[in-house]
Amino acid sequence: MKATDFNIIIAGQAGQGLNTISGLLLKTLTKGGWHVYASQNYMSRVRGGHNFMNIRISQSPVFSTPAGANMLVALDQRSVDEHLRRLEDPAVVVYDMESVKPAQGANGTIWAGAPLLKLAKENGGVIYQNSVALGGIMALLGVGLTDLSGVFSKRFSKNRKVLEDNVRAAKAGFDYMTSINGHFNFMPTLPQREKRLLMNGAEAMGLGMIAGGLRFVAAYPMSPSTGVFTYIAEKAARVGIIAEQAEDEIAAINMAIGASAAGARSATMTSGGGLALMVEGVSLAGIMETPLVIADLQRPGPATGLPTRTGQEDLDFVLSLGHGEFPRFIFAPGTVEETFYTSAAAMNLADKYQVPVFILGDQLLVDSYSTLDKLDIPKIRNENYLISNEHLGKEPYLRYRFTETGVSPRAYFGQAGTHFISDCHVHEEDGHISEDAEISSKMAEKRFRKLIGMKNEPYGPKYYGPEKAQVALVCWGSTYGAVKETVDNFGQEGGGLGMVHFNRIWPFPGEDTLEILRGCKKIFVVENNIQGQFNRLLRRETGIRTEEPILRYDGRPFSVQFITQEILTRLA
Amino acid sequence: MSATSEFHYERETSWCPGCGDFQILKSVEQALVALGKKPGEVLVVSGIGQAAKLPHYLNANGFNGLHGRALPPAFGAKCANHELTVLVTTGDGDCYGEGGNHFIHAIRRNIDITVIVHNNQIYGLTKGQASPTSDIGFVTKTQPGGVVLTPFNPLAVAISLEAAFVARAFSKDTDHVASLIVEGVKTPGFALIDVLQPCVSFNKVNTYQWYQQRVYRLDEDGYDPADKLKAFEKALEWGERIPTGVLYKNPRAESYLDHFIKPGEKPLVKRERPRGEIEALVNEFYSEI
Ligand SMILES: Cc1ncc(C[n+]2csc(CCOP(=O)(O)OP(=O)(O)O)c2C)c(N)n1
Ligand code: SF4
Repeated sequence: MKATDFNIIIAGQAGQGLNTISGLLLKTLTKGGWHVYASQNYMSRVRGGHNFMNIRISQSPVFSTPAGANMLVALDQRSVDEHLRRLEDPAVVVYDMESVKPAQGANGTIWAGAPLLKLAKENGGVIYQNSVALGGIMALLGVGLTDLSGVFSKRFSKNRKVLEDNVRAAKAGFDYMTSINGHFNFMPTLPQREKRLLMNGAEAMGLGMIAGGLRFVAAYPMSPSTGVFTYIAEKAARVGIIAEQAEDEIAAINMAIGASAAGARSATMTSGGGLALMVEGVSLAGIMETPLVIADLQRPGPATGLPTRTGQEDLDFVLSLGHGEFPRFIFAPGTVEETFYTSAAAMNLADKYQVPVFILGDQLLVDSYSTLDKLDIPKIRNENYLISNEHLGKEPYLRYRFTETGVSPRAYFGQAGTHFISDCHVHEEDGHISEDAEISSKMAEKRFRKLIGMKNEPYGPKYYGPEKAQVALVCWGSTYGAVKETVDNFGQEGGGLGMVHFNRIWPFPGEDTLEILRGCKKIFVVENNIQGQFNRLLRRETGIRTEEPILRYDGRPFSVQFITQEILTRLA
Repeated sequence: MSATSEFHYERETSWCPGCGDFQILKSVEQALVALGKKPGEVLVVSGIGQAAKLPHYLNANGFNGLHGRALPPAFGAKCANHELTVLVTTGDGDCYGEGGNHFIHAIRRNIDITVIVHNNQIYGLTKGQASPTSDIGFVTKTQPGGVVLTPFNPLAVAISLEAAFVARAFSKDTDHVASLIVEGVKTPGFALIDVLQPCVSFNKVNTYQWYQQRVYRLDEDGYDPADKLKAFEKALEWGERIPTGVLYKNPRAESYLDHFIKPGEKPLVKRERPRGEIEALVNEFYSEI
């Protein structure tokens, strides 16, 4: 761990206000100028159980959660028992003295207990316990109360009394901890104050879709995709979007296809189980050549699997789902920032090629928070790929005209008074059903000619690491952070370690991959599934020989320690 | 008149000679002409089945989607461009069987579309299996001992969900069907028109004659379609006598889009989103320092 890093675990039961306390802490730290990365670990229940959030604060950008921590905020006894072994030496534990007891930890563990509940009761009521704790945390971090008060002001701007109570409660916690923290002296140095954005992957995806011109979204709630839908639904009225909760995923995808055929940029989002229901719809978008963005936020399966955990088990599924043959894009962004740009690009590429575009994310990606320096909105170019009204009038309009690029001029229903049919059967150029053998093959060839253009689109594999590294870690999607940091921290064993991250998975960027991996002696794919799905894809598409992949399939994300250990064992 | 209407599309159909589907097609054309629509202003959405081929035989916008899935894309298309007059042509299997869940929720949504169900009490395209509306005892190759399932009552379901407009007609009465389509289109919200449509190839029980002997017109004896309980009573009437006409009309005016699109607002598909709006959203994520 870098000296400039500081790691906090906030743990407790569902319903104890973990999200509130973490959210406020993240905002306060961002305001203070820290780079933060926070990942969530929660159970599929609304009350009780054991949930926790890992918050990493640093002076430079960070993208993964380390195994250890410097501070534990334990909202119940189980939190102490679960996380004590993860604490560094020294570390501090913040807890309510009346409900939580210290346990046997490392010598350097400082037990900073405070009468949180009592102080809350004295300062407005039980509900302010989290604010008392937050005040105490500020004292221990040595960052003062100003930023926290600022965050409170914004959050409770509508209710003066609640705002004042929160500030008072935080002050009580702050004063108490200040009086006992004499020997807590390993705080990180304060960073430069810098204006930054704080967002999670779900928000980045929703915002990216909106920036990419989204007009219609229909979805059915399913973890971990719900956050994306929620974000868009909340903003919908402001930005002229219709967001509908469908009766099921089948309806959701078919609604989105209808809206898209009528000219509105459309998307839907779900997780594996919901995607399974959408399959026939994807195939419909395929033959109808209707633009559509489908986000699959993966969780471990099969079936209901681990509803709130993370995994990368749907790659094979997404590569091949949908009966019949049609081209598709598959993207798997690696960071919150990349999620924003990829989602915006997905909306545009769907329109440009009139194909289904998948964004493969997972619980780790959508539920994790990250600070960003900025988002470059002018970088997003929303082109109008519809046929112009002027062209429409010129000759008989053929929705599925045979073209060199495979992309036919697309109008929307009723555009400038025109009319045409979009059809799910094999059809003629005008969209009407056909069973003709020649038409069938020509239409299939037309659709697949799109791949020529699609292959040249951006978001290909990216290399990171020392020049001429002999060993390469290959990853896709959310594993980016842990793999990157493994590379950062790795020594010279085996001749240097580099990484290749794939965002665009399909059409597979084969030539770029061969180019990047040329000269690498050992290639390890790192992924969150048991079969090494990407490993197989990489071999199939490039003929490259890879080592046994590094896999994790317990519903938990990779850590730097996990990956490093695996490589060292294999290189030994 | 229909042979010369703008909506007429001269094309070989895959319907059997004598099928009630031809009559419904004629009524659709007739209604669109009566409504004064242009082909570019109309979108006909369908699923899969014999009935669902109708958009291919009409000169207008068409969306021929998946079996059972006519209503969701019709909803999506209407949201994207509410200036379109959206009709759905579907079968009893398509709409009440494979698409049953969508049927329930499309009514709840009360999107402003007109749904014409070609109800032949059988699956035509797949050559004669029972449908959700087949009567008990109806013998088919897949129900050799006769249907034992309780028939689905689409009208009663629609009334219970307070659909904006619920009607039934017999396909042979083309003028009546056309007038109901006109009224359905004019009614804001979800309009269901269940059309009894003889399948001459596979349904040898519910024939032209069978329907002809049973149907009667509600509007001929001073029936009030605003009375929900009365409407239920009529919806349950089936057997010796079958009521046709508007069974129920819900005076509740608000359709789905009334909640989201203000009068005079452009359809989503014609709107530009100012850059400033995106920047405002981005700014919400910035910390103030
Ligand atoms: C998912 C799916 N399942 C089954 C079918 C086969 N199928 C096509 S039409 C149909 C039933 C048609 O019956 P109905 O909707 O009553 O229309 P009709 O042909 O009688 O007009 C079936 C089962 C299909 N196309 N797709
Ligand atoms: S099978 Fe029946 S419903 Fe279909 S076209 Fe023939 S007669 Fe009509």
